[in-house]
Amino acid sequence: MKPPVLPRRNFLQSAVTGSLLFPGLLQQLLAESGDPLAPKNPPLPAKAKRVIFLFMTGGVSHVDSFDPKPALTRDHGKEIKADHPEIKGRPGYERIYLKRPQWEFQPRGQSGTEVSELFPHIASCADDLTLIRSMHTSHSNHYNATLGMHTGSFAFARPSIGSWVSYGLGTMNQNLPSFVVIAPKQTYAGSQVFASDFLPGSHQGTLVIPGAEPIANIAPRIPAALQSRELEALRTLNQTHLQTRNADPLLEARLRTFETAFGMQMAVPDAFNFQEENDRTHADYGLQRGQTTGFGWQCLAARRLLERGVRFVELIDSGSSGNWDAHGDMMSHAPLAKNVDQPIAALLRDLKQRGMLEDTLVVWTTEFGRTPFNNTADAKGREHHPWAFSSWLAGAGVKPGIVHGATDEHGLRASVDPVHVHDFHATILHLLGFDHEKLTYRHAGRDYRLTDVEGHVVKEILS
Amino acid sequence: MHPSNKALSFLTLLAALAPGAAATEDFFESQIRPILVEHCFDCHSGAKTKGGLALDSKNGWQKGGDSGPAVLPGDPEKSLLIEAVRYQDEDSAMPPKKSGGKLPDAKIALLEKWVRMGAPDPRVASAKIAGMNAEEAQSWWAFQPLPKTSSTAKPAEAAAHIDALLHERLKSEGLSPAPSADKRSLLRRASYDLTGLPPSPEDVDAFLADSSPDAFSKVIERLLASPQYGVKWGRHWLDVVRYADTAGENTDRPLMHAWRYRNWVFDAFNRDLPYDQFIRLQLAGDLERATASRTELNEGIVATGYLAIARRFGHEISKDVHLMHEDVIDNLGKTFLGMTLACARCHDHKYDPISAADYYSLYGIFQSTRFAYPGCENSGKPRDMVPLIPQSEADALMSPWLKKRADEDALRAKLAAAGKTLNTSFTEQTEVLASAPLAEGTSIGFEESQKVSLDSIAVRKGEVLLLTVSPNKGHGADSTLVEWSIQDCTHPERAWNVSDLISSLSQSNPHPGAHNASWCFLSMGNKGPVFLHEKSTSVNGHSDIQKWGIGDTPSVFVNSSDQQLMVWTTLPARSFLVHPGHDQPVAVAWVSPMDGSVRIRGRVADAHPTRNDGVAFELKHLRSPASGTALLEMGRTLQIPEAGPAPAIPWAYAVADAQPVNARIQIRGEPEKPGDEVPRRWLGVFGGQPLFHPTESGRRELGQWISQHPIAARVMANRIWQWHFGTGIVRSSSDFGSRGEKPSHPEILEFLASEFVASGYSVKAMHRILMHTAAYQRESNPQEPHLLKDPENRLLARFSRRRLAVEELRDTLLLAAGKLDLTLGQSHPFPPEDRWKYTQHNPFNAVYEHTQRSAFLMTQRQRRHPLLALFDGADPSASTAQRQTTTVPPQALFFLNNPFFHEQAAGLAASLAQIPNDSLRFNTVFRTLFQREPSAGESQHASAFLASYGTAPAEAWNAYCRILLAGNEFLHID
Repeated sequence: MKPPVLPRRNFLQSAVTGSLLFPGLLQQLLAESGDPLAPKNPPLPAKAKRVIFLFMTGGVSHVDSFDPKPALTRDHGKEIKADHPEIKGRPGYERIYLKRPQWEFQPRGQSGTEVSELFPHIASCADDLTLIRSMHTSHSNHYNATLGMHTGSFAFARPSIGSWVSYGLGTMNQNLPSFVVIAPKQTYAGSQVFASDFLPGSHQGTLVIPGAEPIANIAPRIPAALQSRELEALRTLNQTHLQTRNADPLLEARLRTFETAFGMQMAVPDAFNFQEENDRTHADYGLQRGQTTGFGWQCLAARRLLERGVRFVELIDSGSSGNWDAHGDMMSHAPLAKNVDQPIAALLRDLKQRGMLEDTLVVWTTEFGRTPFNNTADAKGREHHPWAFSSWLAGAGVKPGIVHGATDEHGLRASVDPVHVHDFHATILHLLGFDHEKLTYRHAGRDYRLTDVEGHVVKEILS
Repeated sequence: MHPSNKALSFLTLLAALAPGAAATEDFFESQIRPILVEHCFDCHSGAKTKGGLALDSKNGWQKGGDSGPAVLPGDPEKSLLIEAVRYQDEDSAMPPKKSGGKLPDAKIALLEKWVRMGAPDPRVASAKIAGMNAEEAQSWWAFQPLPKTSSTAKPAEAAAHIDALLHERLKSEGLSPAPSADKRSLLRRASYDLTGLPPSPEDVDAFLADSSPDAFSKVIERLLASPQYGVKWGRHWLDVVRYADTAGENTDRPLMHAWRYRNWVFDAFNRDLPYDQFIRLQLAGDLERATASRTELNEGIVATGYLAIARRFGHEISKDVHLMHEDVIDNLGKTFLGMTLACARCHDHKYDPISAADYYSLYGIFQSTRFAYPGCENSGKPRDMVPLIPQSEADALMSPWLKKRADEDALRAKLAAAGKTLNTSFTEQTEVLASAPLAEGTSIGFEESQKVSLDSIAVRKGEVLLLTVSPNKGHGADSTLVEWSIQDCTHPERAWNVSDLISSLSQSNPHPGAHNASWCFLSMGNKGPVFLHEKSTSVNGHSDIQKWGIGDTPSVFVNSSDQQLMVWTTLPARSFLVHPGHDQPVAVAWVSPMDGSVRIRGRVADAHPTRNDGVAFELKHLRSPASGTALLEMGRTLQIPEAGPAPAIPWAYAVADAQPVNARIQIRGEPEKPGDEVPRRWLGVFGGQPLFHPTESGRRELGQWISQHPIAARVMANRIWQWHFGTGIVRSSSDFGSRGEKPSHPEILEFLASEFVASGYSVKAMHRILMHTAAYQRESNPQEPHLLKDPENRLLARFSRRRLAVEELRDTLLLAAGKLDLTLGQSHPFPPEDRWKYTQHNPFNAVYEHTQRSAFLMTQRQRRHPLLALFDGADPSASTAQRQTTTVPPQALFFLNNPFFHEQAAGLAASLAQIPNDSLRFNTVFRTLFQREPSAGESQHASAFLASYGTAPAEAWNAYCRILLAGNEFLHID
């Protein structure tokens, strides 16, 4: 697609020569005031340059997906005791019983990593996964656990991990935001999960809602030819305004944003226009031509955004209802898994084939696991389980085909090498070249960081 | 630090006198201190005191951490430190594995020896109040009394004094101030600053024409007298107190009555309510005004909305109430005192003189306060609002409704129990009598598809026969004819037939049948049976068609006429029909009135043959006598009227006193770990005065202590300065502690704060002073030396150009389009409370558009208003001391493509279209938007643009208005 008129170079030149007085000084001021999104090198050597964060909303059952527990099948129906936050004082939950997994596990690939039938496609990529079976978190509510997984804070609004990455690394494409969240529906805790909070607003996640106008105000309401004429006129007007006002980086910066916005109008639809993708790719991601929704769309859009320089893309698979929160029936995991399984596997293969997996970190997680027990052995569902769950990483800087950590025989507790959400975050930042204790921002008299006062890098999984 | 020679010789002397002393200290210095430094200091020294334990002074280990003293001199076996390094207990083992793990045995032995020696330790910590040296705390600049000013100076004199002080600094830096701004810029600046709105062209003309020396003073007075002033300055305040219209807990439910507090703030600024009173009313208006007139009391109650709007946390907010208290204490500390009090929740403040005991002494005050309860998912309904009429009147109005609501709740509980019974009988005690798929256009008799003989089915009283018709994928044309008779085998004259229902279907559901039987018409979704509760006595204009349904479908309906009816399909004369919905089977149930056996006959037929995919039916027997009772119980609840909306009583979202209690310290901020009780009192560093009304919560005293402390005047004077000049004299305007920034011009802040007190805490007096300064009236254009030496403009050689705040932007756009409604907003159009079903899965979420000022937009905590979020509006969850100004491409996209923006531009163009010619239009639009006339060049450019745009003139004018409204001149204030 060709942008009409308004050549970008002219615009840039105008921005720096617009001010008649002391242009040299202006250059300097612009450099100092800095574009908060200018690409930056991380302080430490980094394996990963960008991240795809796949978030499964509602709590995926670890014992039915990535954490095989033969003892749980064996001991099905056996009563256990647990001082569990979800059953404390809850009527009808005075007694609890182990409940067997509903999907069969098999060793996969060269590595032999066991993955269940729930994710047959992802299972076929087992040799690329760095599976952590000993994840645990600090809260058993969706809201708090989701907030925690995104911001490191389980109660208060804090900057999202994507915002921290944007703050630390800037963006490699000025025509696209540095941090993009593709979510068909709002998840728990609303926009707080991708908010920049006290970090500068430019690090806010840009919300993409699959469909007709994926980014707010991105669709031109008038023909491009007319719009560029308007922009020309606006430039003249701003030019006149600037001529009587000495070097002001704020005014100049605003001129630049119109240029970028104009570019975004092209770049965003271009990123989301899959026409040039071949039939094979469409088929791999499970996409029909022209389809503009679905998790396959989200995955392919993510790859295209990364190719175009976006730093952090988060894909949220569903919203705050109709998600993995299988209290009623574990079988509701089946359609949800089907929805994401093939596209995620396609994404991994696609990235690998393009050589992008070398410097891209793929993160797959949920907010917590699900209880290996229920109040009757034949109860169909499982409850929230903050004590243990599974997440995996793939790509840049992590050992492929390994399993880290383990839960106890019933999947109740992360018992070997437990990895808390803070540790998970510290590790992701490490892979991007940051010491999580040093990526800080001064706010309200305190230096804040993603990992609060916790977090240890999980060194064992680093390649 | 090296001991001086003198000290050394003193030590030598000591050693000579008591050979042990020096030797033991030497032992400490040479053997013990290195171990502590190497293995312990990372977590237990300086500001780091994990577990509350400091090991960098003798007092540190004497006092010990959360588990008590770390060392018992002389007794290693009873010393926690020794226990820890021996790795005796996994939980307390030190140093932790991550920091190197267990010490070598030799080092452990040295530590044991040291304890056995009596733990000699020459290190003395200086006296501290929490994180600050006591001496420093007592002399901390922000805590000192203000210089006394006997009477307020005239604004111009005070302004001159400030200018002189500013000038002195500029001179010392070798800078000269910028010239005065031109009158148009000054008027635009002053109007936006005081009212958030631009001056009208008439205002501009009047000001330009007024050449009297007090012309600008008159402008200031006019603006201060405008009711729009309070909206602008009240909004500043709402930023700091993190005002929002939702609670912020997991469902983010609406605060129906919080708006009264918002409007009170606006009104308080308009009335210039003295700031000390303003503080006291927000903390304890109900107590301050307890014996005043009703109007005054109401004001006091509404003002405590400040406390009530505290953010709520979690799923069950009562469980996380300590977080709400933290939010309250955090906010009042920052807002009024410029102190980060909440840092002392888990441990003493690390940098400022605030102890955890201070924190919990305030905590007790709020624990003794009843906060309006917004409800939450677990314990749903809002309560504890404060009525603005006498409580007895409110009770009289409320009690019948509360009774109704209690009845309703009881019925719902019954309903839930009935549902449970039914589900059990569905899953466990059901027998299928007949079932079959029904292809398009076909008809199947029960007998043809029977699973058991239908000639004699044993039933007991209360058991249910249930005929369910389910849709297939295409459920659109599934009108299904049902014939169904039931006959008592022993008394054949006792019989029932769905055809009996044709004349009276709409009478009721459950429907009485002959001989005390009952019929029920149901929807059968995943969650069990639901009564079809919507009655239609006419369908498609035919009063002969009567129907029970939920929406269009599922439904049970009859054609009661003797003629067949042609509607969406042909309905035979006197026919009984059902229609399933999407994923919603429909069912007819018969509840047995007797014990005995029955003969069943009937058939099901497609009544709307298309090329669709048919339906399926199933005839079941629920073999539990409880199931019929439960079903009828469910049906009866439909007839009970809901309590409906609560009586309209003027409520305030406010607080009241509760049973007074002292709080206990929560060790490490964990409510499950209570420590010592602390009395409610004032902060220790400020004297720690006890309550003088201990039977109250203590809010009244707190309001007085805060409002009388000089730091409160300093903080507010600094805020007012910041809201005029862009940056405070203390830039960290909510942190005047040791981590905050030092004032750039301390003398000015002292002077201004003293003037503030002397004026009787008049905010308007501050505006008069500040706006009369030459500094305020300077032009915003910097000169080269300004940029080189003071790029941030802390010295105020010029005025700081600023972007319109988001509220100013939206208001001005509406104003330009002629659509701004300047009336005062009131409550938001929230759904009525009795219909709330918010959960964390489906939280409250809404954007309410209107054309009133943006300060009246509904602001949500969990989901930000899109426009407010885009242009750096205040954070609705945490105190915003100063707004950010980000410049990001999505903002430019707003000016390119946003429908609201396009609409306002079109509105402006439409009003300009009333003006006879283009040149007059240019003139008007420049005067309206920019307070100036267009230059010849600009008019020319505009004409050229309109001519070349290539559309109808109206479109071209829309485009031109968009350009003007997207321009930098429109968006910035010089």
